[in-house]
Amino acid sequence: MIELLAITDDPVAPPPPLRLVPAGPVAVVVGPAPEGEVDAEALWDRESLLEDLMDERALLPIRYGTRVEDDAAAAAAVVPRGAELAAALERVRGAVEVSVRAIAPEGEEAGDVGAVHARLSGLAREHARHDGPEPLRAAYLVDRAGVDVFVAAVRELQQEHRGLSILCTGPWPPYSFAEPR
Amino acid sequence: MKDKVLAAPLNGDLDAFERKIPHLSNALSRRIDADPESVQQGLAQLVLTIVELLRQLMERQALRRIDGGGLTDEQVENLGRTFMELDRAMEELRDHFGLEPEDLNLDLGPLGRLL
Repeated sequence: MIELLAITDDPVAPPPPLRLVPAGPVAVVVGPAPEGEVDAEALWDRESLLEDLMDERALLPIRYGTRVEDDAAAAAAVVPRGAELAAALERVRGAVEVSVRAIAPEGEEAGDVGAVHARLSGLAREHARHDGPEPLRAAYLVDRAGVDVFVAAVRELQQEHRGLSILCTGPWPPYSFAEPR
Repeated sequence: MKDKVLAAPLNGDLDAFERKIPHLSNALSRRIDADPESVQQGLAQLVLTIVELLRQLMERQALRRIDGGGLTDEQVENLGRTFMELDRAMEELRDHFGLEPEDLNLDLGPLGRLL
């Protein structure tokens, strides 16, 4: 069994034991399927691999735990969606995902998350709001070169909105923007 | 792993965020029950849930690392349990929709509906 890690269109081979399996206009980064229990270290190892890959190339992260029999099966699964995936790669090229969550500080009313989201959306290529218990849980697709500006804006918003606690994490592979449209 | 917190809240209370991260089992059952109408939609929702939860797990891990460095045995155990629950939920979903594991792999695959 092999594990599928990401879709890319960069022809440069990833560091071993990862390999590139061509699949039409794109390619799949695959690796040996890890054995044993899933634990925090395993998740971080995978995240680390993805982030190293992401530093060098545009990629669409593949869902954790996706395994197929061999290279031929990997290619067969991806080729029919090749054009869509190539388009999805264009969407995320040169950008990273930044996550923002805002909650009310202990014992206080939540402030205006709409204004926070509006300002941050304006600094992002795309945005996705997720359901959650927080007043704001959102992911922003931000140009690599714009991450510092984005984070500075988060800090400013935190100063302006004392009725909110804002947490910003990243950069992440574009988990929220990997789905072709 | 690099520090994943780009900007922390003024009061530095990261635990408050960690507490908001839901238990996977709750999130999964809610999503699946919420809309069993079509296979496509059910699967798609599950995938989105998984993707989002995975990122949240990552965030949680990141927060733990900053707070105290390293995970406690209990947290590691929770994570293992989380994935067992995920497996079980996938199995239930397969039964519900009458799918073989291969079908699910194909439908759920890499990027959601993609593979």
